[in-house]
Amino acid sequence: MLDPAFTSSLAQVLAPASLLTDAEDTRPYECDGLTLFRQQPAAVLLPDNEAQVVAILRLCHAAHVPVVARGAGTSLSGGALPAADGVVLSLAKLRRIVAIDPLARTAIVEPGVRNLAISEAAAPYGLFYAPDPSSQIACSIGGNVAENAGGVHCLKYGLTVHNVRKVRAVTIEGDVVEFGSDALDSPGYDLLALINGSEGLLAVITQITVKLLAKPQYAQVALAAFDDLERAGAAVGAVIGAGIIPGGLEMMDQQATRAVEAFVHANYPLDAAAVLLIESDGTPVEVAAEMAEITHVLTASGATEIRVSQDETQRLLYWSGRKAAFPAVGRISPDYYCIDGTIPRAALPRVLRQIEDWSREFGLPCANVFHAGDGNLHPLILFDANKPGDKERTVEFGDRILQLCIDVGGTITGEHGVGIEKIGGMCAQFPPVVLERFLGIKRAFDAESLLNPGKGVPTLARCAEFGRMHVHHGELRHPELPRF
Amino acid sequence: MNSATQSPTRPQPEAVTALTARLRSEYGDRALTTHAIREQHSHGEGLADAAMPDIVVFPHTNEEVASIMRICHAARIPVIAFGVGTSLEGHVAALYGGVCLDLSQMNRVLEVNDADLDCRVQAGVTREQLNTELKGTGLFFPIDPGANATIGGMTSTRASGTNAVRYGTMRENVMGLTVVTADGRIMRTGNRARKSSAGYDLTRLLVGSEGTLGIITEIQLRLYGIPESISAAVCQFPDLKSAVDSVIVAMQLGIPVARIELLDDVQMDACIRYSQLTEFAAKPTLCFEFHGTEAGVREQAQMIESIATDHGGSAFQWATKPEERSRLWKARHNAYYAALALAPGKQGFATDACVPISRLTDCVLETQADVATTGLVAPIVGHVGDGNFHLVILFDPANLDERSKAEALAARVALRAIAMGGTCTGEHGIGVHKLDALRAEHGDAIALMQAIKRALDPLNLLNPGKTVPPV
Repeated sequence: MLDPAFTSSLAQVLAPASLLTDAEDTRPYECDGLTLFRQQPAAVLLPDNEAQVVAILRLCHAAHVPVVARGAGTSLSGGALPAADGVVLSLAKLRRIVAIDPLARTAIVEPGVRNLAISEAAAPYGLFYAPDPSSQIACSIGGNVAENAGGVHCLKYGLTVHNVRKVRAVTIEGDVVEFGSDALDSPGYDLLALINGSEGLLAVITQITVKLLAKPQYAQVALAAFDDLERAGAAVGAVIGAGIIPGGLEMMDQQATRAVEAFVHANYPLDAAAVLLIESDGTPVEVAAEMAEITHVLTASGATEIRVSQDETQRLLYWSGRKAAFPAVGRISPDYYCIDGTIPRAALPRVLRQIEDWSREFGLPCANVFHAGDGNLHPLILFDANKPGDKERTVEFGDRILQLCIDVGGTITGEHGVGIEKIGGMCAQFPPVVLERFLGIKRAFDAESLLNPGKGVPTLARCAEFGRMHVHHGELRHPELPRF
Repeated sequence: MNSATQSPTRPQPEAVTALTARLRSEYGDRALTTHAIREQHSHGEGLADAAMPDIVVFPHTNEEVASIMRICHAARIPVIAFGVGTSLEGHVAALYGGVCLDLSQMNRVLEVNDADLDCRVQAGVTREQLNTELKGTGLFFPIDPGANATIGGMTSTRASGTNAVRYGTMRENVMGLTVVTADGRIMRTGNRARKSSAGYDLTRLLVGSEGTLGIITEIQLRLYGIPESISAAVCQFPDLKSAVDSVIVAMQLGIPVARIELLDDVQMDACIRYSQLTEFAAKPTLCFEFHGTEAGVREQAQMIESIATDHGGSAFQWATKPEERSRLWKARHNAYYAALALAPGKQGFATDACVPISRLTDCVLETQADVATTGLVAPIVGHVGDGNFHLVILFDPANLDERSKAEALAARVALRAIAMGGTCTGEHGIGVHKLDALRAEHGDAIALMQAIKRALDPLNLLNPGKTVPPV
């Protein structure tokens, strides 16, 4: 419950319809895309403009009330899970496209603008916004910055951090600060990079200047079939190793192709152990030359069949299966758990083989559909939550995959973020010296930890507790810390 | 005791004496206090504002750096990391004395991962050394600020250079680091995965932090396949405006040129004399380089040539053979020395500014007109594809009036760039010379930078007096 005096001061700032406190009104905000965790907030605030955001944050700071910023609520790691006794600060009403500058090739947008809406608004100028997470129809650009979102095209065009020039944000103390610059570089510490992927822990974003790119004149996609999963993994390394950076490089294993074929009828080779989709974009001359090189490398890597799209309809058809993979898998299994880890590409064959072995060991099918060019795995573990023991085995299977990602030099989240889901995994990935730096940065922005508390960066005490339960390879994590 | 971002003070002489004695006993001839070596480590290039360290130590390992850092932390002695001293904004001057950590002997390429297009190097590896060692792998590291700087120094200053228009700056090309913290612990940031959203981006925070948040000892870098085809071309223009306008059109069309370099008539004249480029005229000039497949390169070049012709540019003069290209780029890299040779005895004050590409013509033309009012000679060169240009202001160090005119001109260039939505430095960094400009540009964000400095270096021992203005 909020202090009535605090609520009435909020009512001075916000119209009644923008200040939700009844349980039935706040219910839709109790979780995001990670529905495993739910918490109803004390209030949901829906400001119309930056001035209201400033006023709200000043009030929350003065009253020591936790604040969780929220965009479209599509986070897969619980980044927008409310804090008990805290407020949800929804940026959904800040959704203006402020300006598009086709000469500078930038767009200035508010955080609630949908990712795809930016590309739609830029399309008349022949421009587009490159990062394209699968949820791009729904997810907001503010959330994309907070999570440093990726997507199919980020192999060639970079992650959110590479495609944002400037961010305007409000600190917990209510100061408006700009990070980055309209020019190539911004001197001093790279605070823009810190804000990208900070999961709402450092400041509340109110305006973003994104880079726009010229739409490639032409694109073709090659679909390559392999009769062996490891060979397909090795082919990914061979393409990149040949110095080719394709517009997209995705992999689906047989479990995944069979699920999507029944759903979209893209005519995938269903007897193949794995399929690669490799896109080339640019001028027709460049694409022809690159495609020739790609097919050469794929053949040398043992592809059993290669099809190159001959027109736009065919290209979209080949991609349709990849784009629909998650819903398609949802059709064949009562539940699935999506893992998001990233590894160096060279480790792909080994890691894929290991996941296959574990899948047999646990008796849980696992579909692999992922950004292979980035080494960003998305194993989908299929289970039935109503079957006793399935959920526990699924979680253990997922933990093993993420630990393997760390062991081969990768990371526990490639693009979904830490949120609440992976807070324990952070203790496994980072030693105390790094966690202390994270906490120091957090304190520099938000000394009282009011912004999105309990997410993103674990306290050392939490890691000690986690370590008590999680003894890895017989080694106790953080033996120097007192146990609780 | 000073705390971070307060104005620091020099350590007590007794503390310095005890420290130098200890380091000399531990590191022998790798810990030097001679005047000559301290003088050599008292400044970078650019303005010769020297400030000598008390001792220069040459560590070989991460553990040695950590050990020295722990000793200095306990004794409250400043530590300044040093590569080969090619920085331009006074980054390495030991303003408060202390220990200069010369990392140039940490110069091993630790690993090259062909299939992953990355490598790991020690901080003292130079750019040219890395590319020499990569020969035979078919890979290269493209970032090229001109000087043969160390990778550690380029990382610390977030260097860019002639290739940034195609390959990005150090910001885009550093994947991870090994860093020694202010209290002497070794930490790794980032990893070899291509993307991660776990934790704050310490790697990018450290990139460009100019030795003020930690000592960078190892760097994981992105590498690129050597393009199948490379060619370079030179195009000369009747006036500066036509040259810059051509660049803007090319960039707006998104043509993936690997380099676009501008030299104004003064700079071109200097280069013709210095590098014997007698086939060219002293006119505003653009140098292009194209990377890609043979067909792709031809296509890019045709598009650029037609844009240049529309703006009154000359026919392209091609440099397709490797030796022709390297002669051309060598002349470009020597532009600074060529400018100095215009006025023997004078010093060069190299300043750097960067604006959104749509404002580039305005900024360059206003700057050229501004130079004319001062009576100083100041050629303009630039990586104009990024909206980044440099001014080498020539002045007589003995003539105080000339020096203050040069400084005022540089300050006006910075403020003009900021007013146009740009920045006071595209690639040289802040060091000591641009602290005021940083204040003008960043306003409220400075308090956050100061708070981060306090969080990561509470005693203000890491390169004190640089990068972030005092509270």
